[in-house]
Amino acid sequence: MKRILKYISILAVILLLNTSCEEFLDVNTDPNNPTSVTPDLVLPSAQKYTASIIQKDRRISHFGNMMMQNWSQSDGFSWYTDEFKYNVTSSFYQRVFNYSYTNSLKQYQILDMLEDTRYDYYRAIGKIMKAYHFQLLVDIYGDIPYFEALLRKDNATPVYDDAATIYAALITELDAAIVLIDEAVAPDVPDIDDAMFGGDMDKWIQFANTVKLRILVRESDVRDVTSDLAAIATQGSGFITSDVLVNPGYLIEKDKQNPIWGDLGWDEGGTQTLSSKATCATQFILDYLTGLADPRIDYIYEEPATGHLGVVQGLLDYDTPVLDAFVPELVSNIGDGILKSGTMGANIFSMAEVYFLLAEAAEKGLITDDPKAHFEAGIQASFDYLGAGSAAGYYSSAIPLADWNSSTGDELEAIITQKWIAMNGITAEQSWFDYNRTGFPSGLPVSLQATTPDRPVRLFYPAGELSANGDNVPAQPDAFTAKIFWAE
Amino acid sequence: MKRIFFLALLLFTFVGINLHAQGSEVTGTVTSADDGSALPGVSVVVPGTTIGAVTDFNGQYTIVVPGSSTALMYSFVGMVTQELSIDGRSIIDVVLESSTTELDEVVVTALGIKREKREVTYVTQKVAGDELTVVAPTRAAAALAGKVAGLQINIQDNGVNPSTQILLRGLRSVSGNNSALIVIDGSISSSCAFDDLNPNDIANISVLKGATAAAMYGSKAGNGALIVTTKTGESGQKLIVGITSSYTAEKVAYMPKFQTKFGTGWEGAYDAVENTNWGPRFDGTMRQIGPTFPDDSPMTTQMVAYSPVKDNLLDFYETGDTWSNTVYMSGSKDNSKFYASFGDQRADGIVPQDQYKRNSVRVNASKKIGKVELSVNTSFFQDNTDVVGGTIGDQDRTLYWFVLNTSANIPLSSYSDWSNPLSYGYGDNYYNAYYQNPYWGVGTNRNLDETNRFTGNFNLSWDIMEWLNFTTRVGTNSNWGSGKNWRARQTYDASLQPAHSTVNSFVEDTEFQSTDYTGDALLSGDFEVNDDITVKAVLGANVNTFDYSYLRIRANNLSIPGFYDVSNGTGSPEVARDESVKRDFGFFGDVTVGYKNWIFLNMSGRNDWTSTLAPGNNSYFYPSVGLSFVFTDAIAALNDNDILTFGKLTMSNSTVYNDLGAYRINEIYSQSAGFPYGAVNGFVLSNTAVDANINKEKINTNELGLNLGFLNGRVWFDGAYFMTATTDLITSTTPSVSSGSTVFLTNIGKLSGSGVELSLGGSVLKMNDFQWDVNVNYTKFETTVDEIYEGLDEIALATSGQYGIYAVVGEAFPQMKANVYQEDPDGRIIVDPVSGHPLVETELANMGKTTPDYILGVNSVVRYKGFSVTATLDYRTGHVYYEQGSSAMEFTGRSIASVSANRQDFVIPNSVIETSEGVFVENTNIQVSGGRHSYWSDKYNDVKSNYVKDASAVKLREFSVNYTLPAKMLAKAPVSKVSIGFIARNPFTWLPEENRFSDPEFNNSNSNVIGIGGYYQSPPTKSYGFTVNIEF
Repeated sequence: MKRILKYISILAVILLLNTSCEEFLDVNTDPNNPTSVTPDLVLPSAQKYTASIIQKDRRISHFGNMMMQNWSQSDGFSWYTDEFKYNVTSSFYQRVFNYSYTNSLKQYQILDMLEDTRYDYYRAIGKIMKAYHFQLLVDIYGDIPYFEALLRKDNATPVYDDAATIYAALITELDAAIVLIDEAVAPDVPDIDDAMFGGDMDKWIQFANTVKLRILVRESDVRDVTSDLAAIATQGSGFITSDVLVNPGYLIEKDKQNPIWGDLGWDEGGTQTLSSKATCATQFILDYLTGLADPRIDYIYEEPATGHLGVVQGLLDYDTPVLDAFVPELVSNIGDGILKSGTMGANIFSMAEVYFLLAEAAEKGLITDDPKAHFEAGIQASFDYLGAGSAAGYYSSAIPLADWNSSTGDELEAIITQKWIAMNGITAEQSWFDYNRTGFPSGLPVSLQATTPDRPVRLFYPAGELSANGDNVPAQPDAFTAKIFWAE
Repeated sequence: MKRIFFLALLLFTFVGINLHAQGSEVTGTVTSADDGSALPGVSVVVPGTTIGAVTDFNGQYTIVVPGSSTALMYSFVGMVTQELSIDGRSIIDVVLESSTTELDEVVVTALGIKREKREVTYVTQKVAGDELTVVAPTRAAAALAGKVAGLQINIQDNGVNPSTQILLRGLRSVSGNNSALIVIDGSISSSCAFDDLNPNDIANISVLKGATAAAMYGSKAGNGALIVTTKTGESGQKLIVGITSSYTAEKVAYMPKFQTKFGTGWEGAYDAVENTNWGPRFDGTMRQIGPTFPDDSPMTTQMVAYSPVKDNLLDFYETGDTWSNTVYMSGSKDNSKFYASFGDQRADGIVPQDQYKRNSVRVNASKKIGKVELSVNTSFFQDNTDVVGGTIGDQDRTLYWFVLNTSANIPLSSYSDWSNPLSYGYGDNYYNAYYQNPYWGVGTNRNLDETNRFTGNFNLSWDIMEWLNFTTRVGTNSNWGSGKNWRARQTYDASLQPAHSTVNSFVEDTEFQSTDYTGDALLSGDFEVNDDITVKAVLGANVNTFDYSYLRIRANNLSIPGFYDVSNGTGSPEVARDESVKRDFGFFGDVTVGYKNWIFLNMSGRNDWTSTLAPGNNSYFYPSVGLSFVFTDAIAALNDNDILTFGKLTMSNSTVYNDLGAYRINEIYSQSAGFPYGAVNGFVLSNTAVDANINKEKINTNELGLNLGFLNGRVWFDGAYFMTATTDLITSTTPSVSSGSTVFLTNIGKLSGSGVELSLGGSVLKMNDFQWDVNVNYTKFETTVDEIYEGLDEIALATSGQYGIYAVVGEAFPQMKANVYQEDPDGRIIVDPVSGHPLVETELANMGKTTPDYILGVNSVVRYKGFSVTATLDYRTGHVYYEQGSSAMEFTGRSIASVSANRQDFVIPNSVIETSEGVFVENTNIQVSGGRHSYWSDKYNDVKSNYVKDASAVKLREFSVNYTLPAKMLAKAPVSKVSIGFIARNPFTWLPEENRFSDPEFNNSNSNVIGIGGYYQSPPTKSYGFTVNIEF
């Protein structure tokens, strides 16, 4: 017995002595998750988030499509109850606010905060994309956290900044980004990890200019932006020359598909999603496109064998007078000009928009270009994106709002209306901003379930902000009357 | 570098001391003064040593007494301990009197250290094994409900393999763990291991309620501890072989209460394929349900009477059966004793095809070799679960959802033939266009799991000297298993089922392994300084390692139908891997100084080092101090009082720290969903931001206890008042999302809790063969959030934006918040003057706490000769819960509320219009619109306070009638004991009128998000059956 005990104790002692206390406790390194990664691993996931926040189900573009009478709901679904009621609450589309900050902006902030100068290109991309997202947030919410935002543990309750001040800061940041790219010394150049431009930094400068153009035209009614637009011309790189698509390499696999395709089209197993079946054209938009003899109707919307059919937004009784008249097979769901494939790039800034922005700037005399040329180029860019062929016949059809020459006196309306058609299903939030700013397209109806004369002009701050940042978040402005500063 | 040398010191000091003792042998018989019968199991010890023996079945004992010893002490539960001097005798027969005081009872305290109850300076409560098994529960935790003051057992759901949440004295931490520590046979264990334990193997459970009681276990015991001791043979006991068998039938106790006036339809119109109930009023006419079949189809369009089918949802559920058998053996010989058991349980659930089976084997043995006692406790457990999957259909819903989405006029149980293309239960033919046939769900979604657990404890106890003992213990608790979850593909004929999308198939394989290793060494000494002063001291060390790993592989869109292997998937399989290691060690000391056996001062201290905090910041010391004062012994005037037989007052204060989970001090990146895309990989920064100075949280507890015994122990009373203060809470706060994170992990704020526990028990009636014992437990506790941090007055633990569980400054925790109607100063609902619809506040309101104000438990045992009737009832009240299910069913028009205005537009009762600011005029004529449908599904359903319900419940949790055959009847039979019983579990539940959906105890998660439940669980059940126990 004595001997056994002795061996046991000696063994125990040896085992324990073998490791020091520090070594014994030095097991707190997470084997499953890194604590730092290089920027080439941060950028692609950031860009995928950008595509998602614009294109996924019930995100930014989707909201625009609902507000702008592009989309409605087929029979058998209660998918869009809040949208049809314009039920702007602190939970309505709160993910737009939440995911912008905690997904895309969080990632771009990592790039913007890089200190090593070899990453100056990545920093510049971070700044440009932050400006892109912050502008969208201002356009949807007005005053938002900006200067104190994204500091994570260093500031859990950022103050809200004035919307117009943020706009000015975004211009500064975009200029700074261009300088970073221009003056970088021996930088690491992004490659396939850049899911937008493949590391082509000239294109990034052009995109920076394009985001500036969007900002300046948006605020052109409340501020003289002539000199800012002239500065872009002076810079000389110009604007993007094709649709800006995010494509990390989308595949027909779970979580890997193009976001709008995967949500509003077909899942990786080739099954049409319920959201896809639920979502269809409004009768208004179909009538409108038909009225313009617009060939894009067959690309923006799917044409059932029984012909195009839309559903009036907010319809409650789908079965009167005809039972099952609006089931998914019979209505015009989203078309194959929008849903091209599961591997297509996600459009986050369309070429058509650039032309329409330039057309508006030219029409207002802010730049010296010919508005008509930009107008027609915008329509053609839209036709090109949708695969609808040549637009020449359309924009010379003598139909007002389609043909520049037949729109005399209503040039701005023509530009904004054509922009609305071009943004349909792609970046439709832009049309909602334009509508709030210009009132075009004119005659846009409200949902049957609306209790207000018009659609909302902004969204509410999300519930989370009221509880987590209650001291800073402003009182909820009237969602139907308190326009964003650029539309005041 | 600092080296661990403590064990070396301890071990080397004592190795080599002569184990052989000189002594003389004493034998004798112990009998009861009551009836003269022999008393088996009486402990005979040499005072001041751990040398001892136990009487055998005939009350006889033999003990070798060291030459220096002069006395023997005889003790037995319920009997007065006697100390007799040996005076050179070799035969000592003893007669023991019934105990007049429970203060002589031995309490198993932390680390298995046994102390007399009078010495214990904090509140404990003991539950004997046979109290746990009286209604043959499948989980020991379920049997604790209502039996221990301060303990709240939440059964998370029904089903064949339910899980339980064990809370002692409420919650102390916002984000941290609040569950009590489970210690099994001296080794730190887990609540899962407790659930895996065969309840029949439990000898007793000692509940150490406050942190004080458990300071010696370190951080893990900050929420109190359940010290579970499994059975070992009794010394002197002859070989017993027994079998305990039980059968119970489980039935749905109640279904949600729904309206049965209106059936299938939409906007007031009949619709043959709707899951919603916005159709016309039931009229009994024959109507089409389901798709219209074409003329060339073998199916004819289904017609059913448009009237409610009684219990149509209830009939979906079956009667579950549970058979369990435990065969056990125990005995002893010389200095060895053992207990072995084999348990087998097989259950069919209330959900069709749900099956469960478990086997457990336990072998406990000990042997005494001289002054050293070696003991081993080992168990092996295996279970197999085969239940319906949790992601059914094209919306990934749980089964209950499909059942609930069946209208009142649908004969649900007629659709069971789901795989037959000529049946209305078949995918294309089923009536419901939106939610599939639940029978189909059962057949095409399965979740299979096998888990195994091995526990082993090796214990060595060495009486170095009469007054000095060294004990070391090595334990392992290893849990591993694998699972397979699959779903079959289902396609639809779009002409019959236009709204359904193809349901994609998948198979998911999981494997996990977790192992706890614990090691303890303790040196304990008992000293008598003089006749008045005693000192009992313990010095010890403890080390723990916890290893965990998990692997999941999922393959989607399988190529070969019915072949559920990941190789059958298309696209890339999804893989997830998780591994973690956590280690800590600590040294502790505990000393109890007694004076005249009526006052005791206890002090303990422990220093821990943990792997989960930053080096340099990972060591912490926590002290506790307590006092026990037996005033009935101390104050002469109270001595030998027949009314107040004994009384003890205790006071204690302790501090415990909670550390973090593994790896949580660093912010991490993880691979972004969907990545990699070929060569492009992507990582995202976690949405959890972590304070650079994250540290431990501190829990301080003050406790005051009172034990009283009246009428020679016939009636007893235990009371406790406690206060806890948690500071530097490790909390997952909710920062503004604009900070770029959704969680900020930091040390903030303060929680304070207080509570009262009262237990009153005793014999109400006692005459001849009749005895009625009642035990009432009352527990009241409340935890309040005192502060969070400047600028933040609430934290959301879980929220939808419209309702959630929060920690709110100045309010009880956890707090339910929900959106509410705008009301005028008189509490009338303010409606919109145009639409007549109620206005809703933009900010959520506090709706109340989700843990009860108080819990009242009542246990009653009536014995008459061989009969015993037991009942356990508990009542919980003062709390609320969110009925997710009834909120969801509002949308479908099945709620009672939705027919309260006869599906007409109506004026909201007691509503007002604000005519100018602050001026409210009664609304008499402005009706809501959409009263036939959309008012309820959208407006009413949008106000989530409508679904916050009183969570009060009275539950008769256990009821049994047992009969044990008299021993003399069995004198000539080959069996020594036969008892049979009728048992019932949860036979009755009373709920308040407003809550008729589900069991408010059901919860979606096992976390601090208490109070949200409803449709992820099955309906509540009750069980009836019988149990038989035979011993040979």
